[in-house]
Amino acid sequence: MALIEVTDLVKEYKLNVRKKGLSGAIRSLLVPEFKLKRAVDSISFTIDKGDTVGFIGPNGAGKSTTVKMLTGILAPTSGSITVGGLSPFKERKKNAMRIGVVFGQKTQLWWDLPVIDTFDLLRHIYRIPAQAYKHNLAMFSEMLGLQDFINVPVRQLSLGQKMRADIAAALLHDPEILFFDEPTIGLDVVAKEKIREFITFVNREKGTTMLFTTHDMDDIERTCNRMIIIDKGTKIYDGTVEDIKRTYGNDRIMVVEFGEKAEPIRIPGVELIDAKDNRMWLRFHKDEIQASLILNRLTQKYSISDFTVQEPEIEGIIRDIYLGGIHLDKSVSGVC
Amino acid sequence: MTRAYLEFAKKSFQNNIVYRSEYVAGVINAIVMIFVNIAIWKAIYEEEGSLEGVQFKILATYIVLSFLLQTLYVMDEYFIEVKVRNGLVSSDLLKPIGFRLYVFSYTVGTLAFRFLLQMLPALILSIFLFHLLFPFSTVMFLYFLVSAILGYLVLYNLNFLIWVSSFWFYWTFSLVTIKDAAVMLLSGALIPFWFMPEGMIDTLQLLPFASIYSTPIQIYLGMVPEDEILTGLIRQAVWVLVLYAVGHVLWKGASRKLVVQGG
Repeated sequence: MALIEVTDLVKEYKLNVRKKGLSGAIRSLLVPEFKLKRAVDSISFTIDKGDTVGFIGPNGAGKSTTVKMLTGILAPTSGSITVGGLSPFKERKKNAMRIGVVFGQKTQLWWDLPVIDTFDLLRHIYRIPAQAYKHNLAMFSEMLGLQDFINVPVRQLSLGQKMRADIAAALLHDPEILFFDEPTIGLDVVAKEKIREFITFVNREKGTTMLFTTHDMDDIERTCNRMIIIDKGTKIYDGTVEDIKRTYGNDRIMVVEFGEKAEPIRIPGVELIDAKDNRMWLRFHKDEIQASLILNRLTQKYSISDFTVQEPEIEGIIRDIYLGGIHLDKSVSGVC
Repeated sequence: MTRAYLEFAKKSFQNNIVYRSEYVAGVINAIVMIFVNIAIWKAIYEEEGSLEGVQFKILATYIVLSFLLQTLYVMDEYFIEVKVRNGLVSSDLLKPIGFRLYVFSYTVGTLAFRFLLQMLPALILSIFLFHLLFPFSTVMFLYFLVSAILGYLVLYNLNFLIWVSSFWFYWTFSLVTIKDAAVMLLSGALIPFWFMPEGMIDTLQLLPFASIYSTPIQIYLGMVPEDEILTGLIRQAVWVLVLYAVGHVLWKGASRKLVVQGG
């Protein structure tokens, strides 16, 4: 049975419509006007135990709203959610016992106290057995390098240290499900890497189900086996990162450097995007024409001193999807 | 589970102790306020001789007790408001804890801090500086303790109403200020009830404010006849229940707003 089941989830917000200017401000103070905004528009999916799923989508797409409903702090307008057989909203405390949440932009740690004090508090809140607490603390300290700052008040920590402490805090009670809201936002490359490694390790060792919302495609590629793209409140893709690359990442760009000055050549199925000095940028579709064929045609006329073929970055594909350049067809979405 | 709330109180205690200058300032503040108020009343007494037949040393003790209790009763008025504004209230709801009990434990932790590190030093200083009278009798002192605890709970539940209103207003500074002024004037914290006009006293007895300062202090001074003490304590307890009930309704509304509107 699936661990998380979401069916036809809808969330509507009442938005206060503010008018422009001073007179508008006074008018909306006296006669507030509201309009309904559908932040989440009948989304359905299921997530199995041990899955790592990334939610992506442009700002305001409804990812965070969905995650908030899964954690039980937001009530759905309609539709149903069960997390391990519980309704997160109706059984908030019971649900809270089994989940961990990390917000990239808000710390859950006690601001004025050393990190270890927050951990100690969490031990009591979640009634963590002494043995498990000791074991987890030792393991997290080692992997995340917490020992350097575990006795330092939280307000004196750097962003990266705070994030590591926050992640450890969310995992101390061995939650079944862990929610990450932009866990690597604002971190440097090394810190990001360390956190990703740790997340993958925990998923493998403890079988923790993990849900991410992020804008960083590297986060998804490195840590998730599945990706759900949400746009304008609806799910537009649900599948693996490889699938989307396979389906939409067929464009290749070949950069060729010629031994001499070369005139543009017309090859059917190949588009010349740029030419500079002895170099040429050619775009082609890998299913329509083979790279070797293009090279073959080129070498017939000119000598080639160097060439590279670039695969599109997942980032670029996603950008195209957001901008509407790629329309996901039904055959791809919902493969899972 | 109770253990977790005890830990919250401990952490709040620790949190308070972090700022060392804060507790020295608290003691000094209490002493200065007592000094100023006693000086004012002394001036009035010298002008008038005796007031309402109350000896000056009784009045001085009243003032000292009032300010010692005030030192004790200071709560973090913006604890909830700050959480509402920066959205951390949802982080608290993500934990398997009862939010209201959590806020209460936090406040009690602060109370313990204020009792040990601010009120006790101020009390000891007051005994020497202002000739604080001892309680009327041991029995009265026990009644006073019960009454002071009830007074604290009345104030807490009253404050809680203001705090929770931040879910709708986001800024509660003006409300807190109005509430503080009302408590100061109507609870007998600054002016003992016996100096007030007869008709006004009856009205004040009907409001919750009297339960906060006037009732416990008058019991301490032995000014309440024995047969009226129980009535006084019951009145306090009723206010605790009434204010708690209103707070309960408000809190339900606030959490509904939070889970429906997302804060």
